[in-house]
This record gives sequence, structure tokens and C-alpha cells, in this order.
Amino acid sequence: MRLTVNGEQHDLHSPPLTSLLTALREELDITSPKAGCHQGGCGACTVLVDGEARRSCLLPLAAVDGAAITTLEGLGAADDLSNVQAAFDEHYAAQCGFCTSGFIMAATALIDRTPKASREEILAGLSGHVCRCTGYIKIVSAVEAAVGSPA
Amino acid sequence: MKAVGARLPRYDGVAHVTGQTQYVDDIRVRGTLWTKALRSPHANAAIKRLDTSKAEALSGVYAIVTHKDVPHNVYGHLEALGIPADEPLLAVDEVRYKGQPIAAVAAVDEDTAREAVDLIEIEYEERAAFFDIRKAMDPDWPNIHQWGPVYPHFGSYNHRRVRKGDIDAAFERADTIVEGVYRPQAIEHCPIEPQTALVVPEANGRLTIYSCTQAMYFSMGVVAAHLQWPLNKLKFVGGTVGGGFGGKVDTASETISALLALKAKRPVKWRWTREEEFLVSSTRAPWHMELADAVTSDGWILGRRMTTLHDAGAYARFSPYGVTKHAFHHTGAYTIPNVHFDGFVVFSNRVPTTAMRGFGVTSVSFAVETHMNRIAEVLGIDPLQLRLKNANRIGDTTPNRVVLKDPSTVPVVLAAADRVGYDLPAEYKSMTNARRSGDLLPEHLVAQLGEPEHSSNGGGR
Amino acid sequence: MPATSLAEAQVIAPTSREEAVGAFGDGSGVTVLGGGTILMPEMNYGRLRPERVLLLQNAGLSGIARNGGSLTIGAMTTVAELEQAPEPLGTAARNVADHEIRAQATLGGNLCAPSGGATPRGDLQAALIALGAQVKTAGKGGERTEPIEDFVAAPDGRLLLEVEFEEPQRSGYAAAHRPHAHAYTILAVCAAETTAGLRVGLSGAGRNGLRARSVEDALAVGASAEEASQKVLDDAQMQDDALASAWYRQRLLPILVQRALDDLGGGK
Ligand SMILES: Cc1cc2nc3c(=O)[nH]c(=O)nc-3n(C[C@H](O)[C@H](O)[C@H](O)COP(=O)(O)OP(=O)(O)OC[C@H]3O[C@@H](n4cnc5c(N)ncnc54)[C@H](O)[C@@H]3O)c2cc1C
Ligand code: FES
Ligand code: FES
Repeated sequence: MRLTVNGEQHDLHSPPLTSLLTALREELDITSPKAGCHQGGCGACTVLVDGEARRSCLLPLAAVDGAAITTLEGLGAADDLSNVQAAFDEHYAAQCGFCTSGFIMAATALIDRTPKASREEILAGLSGHVCRCTGYIKIVSAVEAAVGSPA
Repeated sequence: MKAVGARLPRYDGVAHVTGQTQYVDDIRVRGTLWTKALRSPHANAAIKRLDTSKAEALSGVYAIVTHKDVPHNVYGHLEALGIPADEPLLAVDEVRYKGQPIAAVAAVDEDTAREAVDLIEIEYEERAAFFDIRKAMDPDWPNIHQWGPVYPHFGSYNHRRVRKGDIDAAFERADTIVEGVYRPQAIEHCPIEPQTALVVPEANGRLTIYSCTQAMYFSMGVVAAHLQWPLNKLKFVGGTVGGGFGGKVDTASETISALLALKAKRPVKWRWTREEEFLVSSTRAPWHMELADAVTSDGWILGRRMTTLHDAGAYARFSPYGVTKHAFHHTGAYTIPNVHFDGFVVFSNRVPTTAMRGFGVTSVSFAVETHMNRIAEVLGIDPLQLRLKNANRIGDTTPNRVVLKDPSTVPVVLAAADRVGYDLPAEYKSMTNARRSGDLLPEHLVAQLGEPEHSSNGGGR
Repeated sequence: MPATSLAEAQVIAPTSREEAVGAFGDGSGVTVLGGGTILMPEMNYGRLRPERVLLLQNAGLSGIARNGGSLTIGAMTTVAELEQAPEPLGTAARNVADHEIRAQATLGGNLCAPSGGATPRGDLQAALIALGAQVKTAGKGGERTEPIEDFVAAPDGRLLLEVEFEEPQRSGYAAAHRPHAHAYTILAVCAAETTAGLRVGLSGAGRNGLRARSVEDALAVGASAEEASQKVLDDAQMQDDALASAWYRQRLLPILVQRALDDLGGGK
């Protein structure tokens, strides 16, 4: 099983029915995708698979063989934050931070497919992600700000 | 005060948005074993037989612990506050709630740990389970708990009491009695990070414990008590919590992981599943609150009788403390000169309940504010005017004998009214939280202005 | 002893429909993996340790084909792709989960999902029943085509290949949802009229999607929408579950049937 993760190629040895989430975290030590539920319900494990947001806990490795995966580590480093990352920081969209990686990946994909996303489109686009800390308002404001800022 | 009103960067903001924050599950220690627990499938049962030998023989299993491996098994979360111990870390001869841990396995991976759990032989004798705490005072309610149907250690009482003023006189003088029953349900905190612990045995004999706890020193005390170890042999690493909301105050995973790590002589991680989080982690309690207020037709609340039943679940944990806080707040943001409050901590076969955001107070606030609206409706009085009239004022005393120096009910109600464009008569708009005088000092409120009257055990803990 | 490790599973990834049908055989010992949104949690939690897994991803079973007035939809078509399908299927698809789940979840998985313990599953079923869809499957005895309401009642042992239906002249939809995107529909009623007549499908009124024949029959003999909607309880097999009680559903269902029928009036 071969994956390109954040630009780097890896040959994986985990069994083909291992979830992408477990393979990333336990085999490759890439820990930004979080295991909030292992059953598709929370969104914390969301990564980009060939540019589209996917729940890594619901994807068996066998289904992503050869794919290009982007995780939060692959977006922007501390001194070079992406628009979405910077907006999450500035708008206090991360409190405990456990849901943050999933939200940022989903928001990144959302803006990619809907560059002028309205507030309603943002709400609909992120509706499957759960945050227990922020009450969502700050997250939505951050994504709105990222939509409005030049790439 | 430069910080007030300014947008300061969060100290952990950049780490959060770049994925660098390390939660317990993100920490990697070579050779770490994985944990699964044998949990009770029944809400109430006797354990007739427990045999771990087949599980121990499974290849890949490094350690299995049962109650026999716990140096000090029965503990209480609030022993430090004088609340006695009642809960076994691992069940001994009975289980009192569904999901109660009986044994735990540390193995090379989660699959093996799960398989070992399935190999543990156990026989139960199921008993009827009880959940409706309203029936706790019925003669046929069984003793789920060794202390009886309710927690018995509120001083010399089996309930938290508050007595102030002359409640009978208040009810005699009332124009109307307004009654209400309020029953908020249990709520799961549901932090997005499930309960996780990682325990590493160190060469010098100490244990390093990575914990998602909200209450580091508290958890340290609990682990030390179970192990019968001095605190200086435990190094706790924490502070990064993926959401807690009160649910990570209970020491839920550290101690069992520590016992496994000691027995296996290897690092051990225990990460609960989302299903365990929902089914077994403690929740906010369900409450049953009965209120009866003695009111005058012009909207003064002269007295309140209140009985609260708090569903503690199978063990006491923090419940007595929660009910005490609840008692202190049972008049809400208002001053009621005569009160008679009884609060019971009832044991049932539900999962033990715990703190959650405003422990004990959110429930009573819900009841009090809903009841205020009900009074306003019964009397045909504007609900905000009713609140302003009965609001706490400087010099008033709370049920637990605190004399208020700067109560905020009046300014807050007025500000809220203003924000939503709610019109109030001029005499209400100009109200302040100043000491009672003139119209704000009706004869029946005089009683509370001097030294408050109270019966024994009426106040602080 | 069943496999206890995921490592022991054999994964077969056919690259054509014929290969998939061949590998499925009579279905014994085979676990079909569509999008995996239902199966993966079971594997992650260690409850499912399959012996042989048929990964359909590249089996050429996805896509929507139109010919004349009829549509053929492959089993591996994602729920996201169905969002633009003819009504009431489009609306039913848009109400499934959230964007990311819909992009992974497949039609086949939605129709073959074993009835969940906690909730009825398969929100697309009501729409396809209303549309009078025919289901093509493979398995023991070869390929077979049958009405969808018969298939969803007993999907075991079959490999779903595609569904086919006629574009409707009119359609109607009414449903009750919990406010969160991930909650299954509490109850959904779909109605559609094709050249074959008017059909009514229900989701959430039993362990799987059901056809409301009593309502259809009443309408056929001239009953009003209001009268006909009362008949629906004859077809329903209400259950208590995590979303709602049978008691509640019983009261809600006739109202939703009437709303779906009223919605039909609006034309296409
Ligand atoms: C967070 C979340 C929210 C959800 N919300 C909804 C919702 O609102 N409404 C709803 O209806 N569903 C919902 N689901 C369930 C699920 O996503 C859908 O039902 C989906 O359509 C299932 O498709 P799948 O391809 O992912 O199924 P899979 O997991 O691949 O398979 C499900 C079952 O169908 C079988 N199967 C799959 N394809 C075939 C085939 N071609 N032939 C034979 N058998 C097959 C599998 O063997 C398995 O038994 C939700 C799931 C999650 C995780
Ligand atoms: S861990 Fe994947 S959605 Fe929760
Ligand atoms: S910031 Fe804590 S869950 Fe979202």
C-alpha cells in the first residue's frame, strides 16, 4: 500500500482494512488527525484525499492506495500559516483544539470548491463536524474571514 | 488593564492550528501496550465467579488486573473533604451499574486486549435494577448502596438542609402558593477527546502518568491512594485537555493503567472508545426538584419550600458536594426571607454522575428561573418586574449566610431588558442593587436584615 | 474460530462488473465493502473481522445513465452524486448525513445496510420505493431483477449492481428530522407518480423502507389525501428507537403522508 502524505511517499505495512486514521497516527506518527469517535460521527479525523475532505476513520487503506493525503501538518507551518489556519487562530476558533484539525481541513476543502462560500454554505459544509467548546460561532466567523481574505 | 477588551493571541493558538499540540493519545513511547476493560453488561448483579486464567494464557497479553491487584481498592473521590470511601476501583463481588469495570487487560494491541477480555470467564447473578429516584423513599426500594437509599453523611442528617426564617409563618401570610416540579435529565459531557491515559514505569521506580484530567493534583491524590504510594513517586504530566466540561474531573483511566503498567513492567495506554465515553463515563446528574413558593398577590416571594432528589448513580463520587452547592443556590439570584430546603443524594443503578459546568447550580437555576416565570404567570405580573422586585440587594443574606456586598441581579436584569428593547416602568428602570429601604423594605423582609436565623447545619460545609 | 485480526482478511478488488459478480459467487463468506461508512466503524471497534472483503470501488459500478425517460444508477454511485437526481430522490440524498459522508457513502450501502440496532437505516429507500425502482442483483442462481421494496426486505446474500426507474411526472416529500446533520431521518414519506401510477414510500416506519400500499389503494378508489393518509398505519411497523418513540411516529406519520401528497400537487 503506497500513499503520498504531505508530499512525501510512504509504503505502508498496516493491514489493508486498517483505517487511514490509524495508519497515519500509529504507523506514520502523523497525529494531527484526531480519533474522536472512530465511527464517522465527529469529524476530528478529517484529512484531504486527493484534495477532498474525507473522514480518515471511515476509509480502509485499501481504498486509498496511491492517493495523495494532506493533513494539518501539510498545510502551513507556524511561521507560514495558511489563510484558514491564521483565521482560526485570530478568531479564537480553537479552544481545546481537539476538533480543530478536522475543521481546518474541511474548511480548506470547502473554500477550495466554493471560493465565495456564504455563511449558509459554510454552515452546511461543516455541519458534520462536532465542537464541544466553541459553540461554533467563532469557527464560522473564522471560515468567513478566510473566505474574504486573499489567498 | 491593557488586556481587557483587547484581542490577545491565545498562547496555544498556533500549536492548535498547526497540529503541534500534543494530547495524551499523541504521545509515543516505545513498547506501549494497549488496554481494554471487562465491563459489566448488567446494571445490577452479583459476581459469582471470575477466572482470568484463559485470558492470561493468550499470547500477546502482558498483564490482567482485578480487584485483587489493587492495594487500596475502595475509595472516595472526596475523601479529602471528609466524604467517606464507597467505590471499588475494580468490582469485587457485585456490579451496580452497566459498564462498571471488573478487570482490565494490557496487551500488545487492542485486538489482542479485546480477545483477552472475551476470554475472561465470569458468571453473574442478575438483579432487578432501579432507576426512578422518586421511589427511593418507598419501603420496597432495595439497598443498592451499602449506605442505604440515600447518602447519609450530611452532618447528622441524611440530606443537606437549609432553614432560614419562619417558613410556616410565610406560608400562612401568603396570598397564593405556587408549586412546580422540575426534572432536568442527565447530560453526557461528550468531550471530543475521549478519556485517555498513558503510564510509563521509570527506571527509578516512579511512574510517569500522562493524563487528560482536568484536575491534575486531584488525580494524583487518587492514584496515590489506590497504590498506597507517596505522591513523590508519581510524576503527572497533564494540562492539555481535549475538552472536559467537568467530565474529566473523575479519575477514570489513570489508576487502572498504572496498575497494568506496574504489573506488565511496560508503558500502558488506555484510550476509551466513543461508545465507552457515552455508555460508561460519568454524566451530569438527572435531578428532581419540587418547589412551593409562598407569594403575595403583588409579587413578593415570602418563603420557599424545596425538596431536591439528586441521582448520584451507583456511588457517591462528587454528588454530596454538588447537592451542597445546589442548596446554597436554591433561591437563585433572589432573596427569599424564609426558606426550608432538603436535598437528597439518591443512589440508583445508573452510571455515577459528576460535575458538569456549574456543578449542582445549573439544575437549580433552571428550576428557579422557570419557576419565576410560572409565578409571574399565576399572578399576572410582568416576569422581569417580578425578578427585579425580589432581586438580591446589598446587605441581603443568601441561604448559606453569605451577606451580599455587590449582588448583580438588578444591573444584569436591567441590562438584559435594555438589550432586547424590553420596556419597563420608570421606577424599575431606575432600580439599583442598593440596600433595602422604603418600598424595597416591606415589613416581611425585615427579618433577614439582622443576624440571619438558621437552624443547626443550615449553612456552610 | 472467526478471524480476530484485520490482518487475516483477504481483500479482493475487482476491476470490472463481471469480476465482481464472479468474486461474489453465491455470497457465502464474502463481505461487500461499498463506501464503508457503515462497515468501517464495525471493523474499527473490533466487532467485524471479515474473512473475505470485496472492495467494489473500482468495479465499474458507479454512475448515473439516462436513456429516454429512465435512469440506471450503479450501486457504487455516491449519495453526493444523487443530490441532483430526480425528486424525491434528490431531496432524500441531500438529507443524508453531511457533505463528507455523502461523498463516501454509496447507494448500494444505503439499500443493503442491515437494519441498525439503534435506528432504521437507509434514507434513500423511501424515495426509490416511491419511484417504483427495480433492483438488479447477482448471487445464488445468477442475476435477478425485482422491485426495490421486495429487495430491501431481504437484501442478504445478494450483490447489488444497479437500480433502474422511470423519471416521475410528479413527486412529493415530507419528513421529520432531528436538527443535527448526522441524525438519520425520523420519518420520511415520498410520493411519486410515473406512468405506472402513484406510489408512496416510507423511511423510518419499520426496520427498512416500506411501500404504503394501503394509501395507494385508497387514492386509487378516489379517497381524498386526508382520508388516504390515515390508512398508512396499516402498512407501518413502528419501532421505538434512539430517534423517536413508536408512539410519536404513529401520530406523525399520517400527517407527513398528507403533506407529501399535498406536495405532489406542486407538479414536477
Ligand atoms: C456520521 C454518519 C451519518 C450517517 N447519516 C445517515 C443518514 O442521515 N441517512 C442514512 O440513510 N444513512 C446515514 N449513514 C449511514 C451510511 O452512511 C449510509 O447509509 C450509506 O449510504 C451506506 O453506504 P456505504 O457505501 O458507506 O455502506 P458500506 O459500509 O460500504 O456497506 C453497508 C452495508 O451494505 C453492504 N453493501 C454495500 N454495498 C453493497 C452492494 N453493492 N451489494 C451488496 N451489499 C452491499 C455492506 O456489505 C454492508 O453490509 C450515516 C453514517 C455515518 C457514519
Ligand atoms: S474519528 Fe473519524 S469522524 Fe470521529
Ligand atoms: S475546540 Fe474543543 S472541541 Fe472544538
